[in-house]
Amino acid sequence: MSLFLQLLFTGFGIGAIYAMVSLGFVLLIRAANVVNFAQGEFSMLGAYAMLILFAGLGVPYLLAFVLSVAVMAVFGMVFAGVAYWPLRHRGQLPVIISTIGASILLANAVLAAYGPSPQTLPGMFDNPGFEVGEVFMDSQYLLILAVAALLVLLQYLVFEKTMLGKKLQATSQDKEMASLLGIPVAVMVLITFAYSAAIGGIAGVLVAPILFVSTGLGSLISLKAFAANIIGGFGSIPGAILGGLALGIAETLGAAYISVPYKDAFGFAMLLIFLLLRPQGLFGERIAEKA
Amino acid sequence: MVTLSRRATLLGAGAGLALRTTGARAEDTLKIGVVSPLTGPAAESGQFKQNGMQLALDAVNAAGGVLGKKLELVVEDDQTTNPGAVLAFSRLAGRDDIVAFIGPVRSTQVNSMAPDVLKAGKVMMIGGTDPSLTHLGNPWLFRCRPNDTYSAQVIAQFGVKELNKRKWAVVFSTDTFGSNGNKALTAALEKEGIQPVLAQGYTNQQADFTPVVLAVRQSGADILSSYFTYENDLGVFARQVRQLGVRIPWVGSPSIANTTSLNLAGPALYGTYGVSDFSADASPAAKAYAEKYQAAYKSMPDIQSSWAFDAVNILAMAINAAKSTDPQAMRKAVIAIKGYGGAEGEYNFDENGDGLHGYNIVRNDNGKIVFDRHIELTA
Repeated sequence: MSLFLQLLFTGFGIGAIYAMVSLGFVLLIRAANVVNFAQGEFSMLGAYAMLILFAGLGVPYLLAFVLSVAVMAVFGMVFAGVAYWPLRHRGQLPVIISTIGASILLANAVLAAYGPSPQTLPGMFDNPGFEVGEVFMDSQYLLILAVAALLVLLQYLVFEKTMLGKKLQATSQDKEMASLLGIPVAVMVLITFAYSAAIGGIAGVLVAPILFVSTGLGSLISLKAFAANIIGGFGSIPGAILGGLALGIAETLGAAYISVPYKDAFGFAMLLIFLLLRPQGLFGERIAEKA
Repeated sequence: MVTLSRRATLLGAGAGLALRTTGARAEDTLKIGVVSPLTGPAAESGQFKQNGMQLALDAVNAAGGVLGKKLELVVEDDQTTNPGAVLAFSRLAGRDDIVAFIGPVRSTQVNSMAPDVLKAGKVMMIGGTDPSLTHLGNPWLFRCRPNDTYSAQVIAQFGVKELNKRKWAVVFSTDTFGSNGNKALTAALEKEGIQPVLAQGYTNQQADFTPVVLAVRQSGADILSSYFTYENDLGVFARQVRQLGVRIPWVGSPSIANTTSLNLAGPALYGTYGVSDFSADASPAAKAYAEKYQAAYKSMPDIQSSWAFDAVNILAMAINAAKSTDPQAMRKAVIAIKGYGGAEGEYNFDENGDGLHGYNIVRNDNGKIVFDRHIELTA
């Protein structure tokens, strides 16, 4: 039993990582109708920003955290201007390819600038964790779970309860109509990219103490996060969270009870099953096709 | 008439001059083609390899070069992938001015390019430790590190005879390096009449190792052995081993003692043992190399650089001894190398192309890698 609980805890932790990166995906899909394959690189850059500020310049942890996230928000806007804005009228495919290109460029730019050595980044707590019964709770995983829950709540409130959220959604559904109604479309898109990059940055800073800071950090989690998104329902916030958690748990339990080498396969088998049997995901979209 | 002939003369002279310069440039240096991971997950080891090769290159050239010419490296990126390695080698294989090659340190990449090396028909020094690489019937592959049958035998001998442990758990990467390491260790343990209680494979680049660590804990093993390909995987695993309360002795493949693992895993690896082909205290040549490396790069050398350092030196020795760059003559000259004290140990090349036949056992003493003993095998 303690074995199962330990696995469940770890599955939740890993799942929360996927979920958090997945949240960034969802935002851009919902508000800008963009599938951003550089989302993982936002996390990677956030982790490097933290490394430079905290480990390099000695800025206190929380301040360095806030600054890293702010840096990423600004970076998100720059990213929007370079990788999205010039292609916005050309349909989804050119934008997707542009984000893939940006992802490769960013990973290799960081490689060129900071070298290939993976670095360690300390977590927020000195205590690595504690034991409850026979289950070891890694404090960083607990933090990730808490922050993920907080972000979901925040995101839900913004999208469903505020005028800003409604404007963002309107922009996503029909840019022309939105702009006719007086919504500043360009500003909405910039806000979305900034927020999405900031969330990516938060995920990066939180994950780095577990997975280390390296240029491969983004690709390690973003593919799974993308799968989580599809499992949960493309563009759905609760779906991203549940999809991420389900993926993390399925992987961990599958690895423990069936086969470790096929660990990655369980996640992607789940993705295939959903694509075949329930392509709209756990939380299907109310609007079948967005303009 | 006069102008024409003058122009012709000038043209002719110009052409002759151009020919002579290109001719002189091509003959100025002897080129060694290198396939290295400059990007991708092993990019860091590519940098260490470059450092090692550069040290040897500078020394060889300062001492007058090879056959009176300077040595030069032509490096192509393998992107740490098998297709990348094949592509990188194909860019080098087509060049007539390259006399020999230095290949990747990762077995799987050496394996993927081996057929093309056979076609190219020139000597390639490799660092991959998969035993089968020098038993493929490919006469051109020469190894500057002891292969995994030796590391496995040394791990088994040390664990069984010195630590008196008989319940083994083996954790290995499912790639070429890891699964062959596992096979070799299982075979070496069988000779002692031992069946591992757990042999657990994993795929590279994992975010979490909880299922693996719990399997080790459940197995009731009293000793853990591991074949990890990537240091970040090892780092994640090591921390979870400690967190989930696994306290048995741990003897790992060489990656457990390299600089990156020490940086990433920190205290999680204290007290572990590793086999290492390079240890600064194993021999005077190793010590001299370590001092040279530290002076040049301000960091501790490890296996990722020492084999590459030896590879350049051995190629230079072989060309000088063969007095030519003819591939067959060079091949014979490499096999003739006996008792050469390199940074990795004493080289005695056999017919298969294996240069080294023993390993050092090292211990992680609160973050410092200390030499424990050298175990030389005759098999």
